[in-house]
Amino acid sequence: MRWTRRRLGITLLGVMGIAIAAVPFLTDDRYLLKVLTFVGVNAIVVAGLALLFGYAGQISLGHAAFFGLGAYMSAYLTTTHQTPWLLAVLAGTGIAAAGGLLLALPSLRLKGHYLAMATLGFNEIMSVLFVELRGITGGNNGLSGIPFPSIGSFVIDTPAGIYLLVWGVAALAFLGAANLVRTRPGRAMRALHGSELGAVASGVDTTRLKVQVFALSAALAGLAGALYAHAVGFISPTQFSLEFSILLVAMVVVGGTGSLVGPFFAAVVLTLLQYVHALIPGLGNDVASVIQDWEVDISGMVMILTVIFLPGGFAALVRRKRIGVAVDGETV
Amino acid sequence: MRLLAVCDLSKRFGGLAAVDGVSFDVHEGTIKAVIGPNGAGKSTLFNLITGFDRPDVGSVDLLGCNIVGMNPHKVVRAGISRTFQNTQLFEELTALDNVLVGMHTQLRTGFLGGALRLPWTLTEERRARERASYLLRLVGVEQYVMTPAADIPHGMRRLLEIARALAAAPRLLLLDEPAAGLNNRETQSLARTLYRIRDEGVTIVVVEHDMGLVMEVSEEIVVLDRGRKIAEGPPLLIQKDAAVIEAYLGEEGEYV
Ligand SMILES: Nc1ncnc2c1ncn2[C@@H]1O[C@H](COP(=O)(O)OP(=O)(O)OP(=O)(O)O)[C@@H](O)[C@H]1O
Ligand SMILES: [Mg+2]
Repeated sequence: MRWTRRRLGITLLGVMGIAIAAVPFLTDDRYLLKVLTFVGVNAIVVAGLALLFGYAGQISLGHAAFFGLGAYMSAYLTTTHQTPWLLAVLAGTGIAAAGGLLLALPSLRLKGHYLAMATLGFNEIMSVLFVELRGITGGNNGLSGIPFPSIGSFVIDTPAGIYLLVWGVAALAFLGAANLVRTRPGRAMRALHGSELGAVASGVDTTRLKVQVFALSAALAGLAGALYAHAVGFISPTQFSLEFSILLVAMVVVGGTGSLVGPFFAAVVLTLLQYVHALIPGLGNDVASVIQDWEVDISGMVMILTVIFLPGGFAALVRRKRIGVAVDGETV
Repeated sequence: MRLLAVCDLSKRFGGLAAVDGVSFDVHEGTIKAVIGPNGAGKSTLFNLITGFDRPDVGSVDLLGCNIVGMNPHKVVRAGISRTFQNTQLFEELTALDNVLVGMHTQLRTGFLGGALRLPWTLTEERRARERASYLLRLVGVEQYVMTPAADIPHGMRRLLEIARALAAAPRLLLLDEPAAGLNNRETQSLARTLYRIRDEGVTIVVVEHDMGLVMEVSEEIVVLDRGRKIAEGPPLLIQKDAAVIEAYLGEEGEYV
């Protein structure tokens, strides 16, 4: 058997999966596990955004709002109505999907900048609602005392348990997305991105497809938000601001279009940047606080530099390097 | 049998009658050519038939059903596929994936089936790949299966777009200037490919400026000039038609 690109890729992914799964068995540093859990949460959102932006070519600056919708829905149901966790998370996912559908139906007729503006506006409106709907969201104080994930009497209340739960979901999200892009719906997304005329001429209902991908990515954001709420136990409106939406888009842009692995690594790096002081012990406090204060700006800069000097993101860089080295691998 | 009936089709852009009261039939299993000077309305005619543009008046019947007003992706399902004068390939996708997208209407895998890789999804996927490879061989671009469309030589790109159009299993195939930019040898091979496609049971309407190719492959020719149909008939009669010669001499004499 040849050591093809595909087998190499699968092997690397396997090693990475084992490494991620092994973390809680190697450390019991609660803070580190919590930070890495946030990485997993962001990765779930990025799986959806990579499909929407990186594959289907549709921009969204509103995904923090879908994340917030999922978080508030699940938090509200579990804290005030004692809804079972699983049901509440599903409801959070569902309401984000529904929100995505409602936003997508009118706005996906818009292109480029206009779609960006529509989703940006949506994020701002939701930010206001998260504050103003005090009865549900707790206003500026947010919601606290959100219970741990549980199914029946089985409660996941350790950092390690929550870490594994979130990363399990993240793994499924990426696996599903990876399968999707290699079958009919995923090919149609990439076609849409390449030539909308060509996609239509191939019989693809492009409007319907855009709405579907948008709703799917909103659902994943909602799911991540719900998981996040139960992982931290406290949520407040500032966590779901436009800044977070931009950070999420930066992850996909930097990671690369038409790729899942690229955005995944970008999500890891750009999330960890926020917690750099805790992760690199030797780092001076002043340096750490500068990085923290400028997190969004740094991500923004990296995004701009990527767009200018590395269109297609890091994934494109890796692909370019490979040309001439291995054209085999993929089999028909 | 009458496959397509275009009746009194008209389209104005502002003050310009791009297509003006054009009628003709296409019979199943034939190759028909549509010719005419630049700006005669040939591409617009294709857009009207395939739903990319809506006619002001007139009807397009496919096997007796009016398809005017249908969304272009539905027209594909109804049985008409097309290529574009400016090729509309998916540049980053391989030739194989381009054709697999063309099979969109023939496959059924949805979001759930795709994400979960259900057993029947895999079966469908394997069959689709076999069919796509066959179509690439049929048009003669099999050596580029795994090459991104952007890296495929010009002439081969036109053939690839034909393969993608065939992937939707159309009854009627509309080709907009398939020989544009091809050299002599490639044009010869295109002619053979068109015969092969017709022999597979696909009816063809081809818009083409290469008169050698038109006279060789087509059984019937429709001639447009400034939006109007000025002649229709077999190649030998069209070559001698006074109105046709007049129309072409008014533009560029060397065509006929
Ligand atoms: N969308 C449009 N808006 C305005 N005018 C248009 C549009 N599409 C085509 N036209 C005009 O309609 C006329 C017919 O154009 P069309 O593209 O159908 O010609 P054609 O016969 O395909 O020419 P060619 O041989 O150059 O491809 C031209 O004068 C063209 O400028
Ligand atoms: Mg034209």
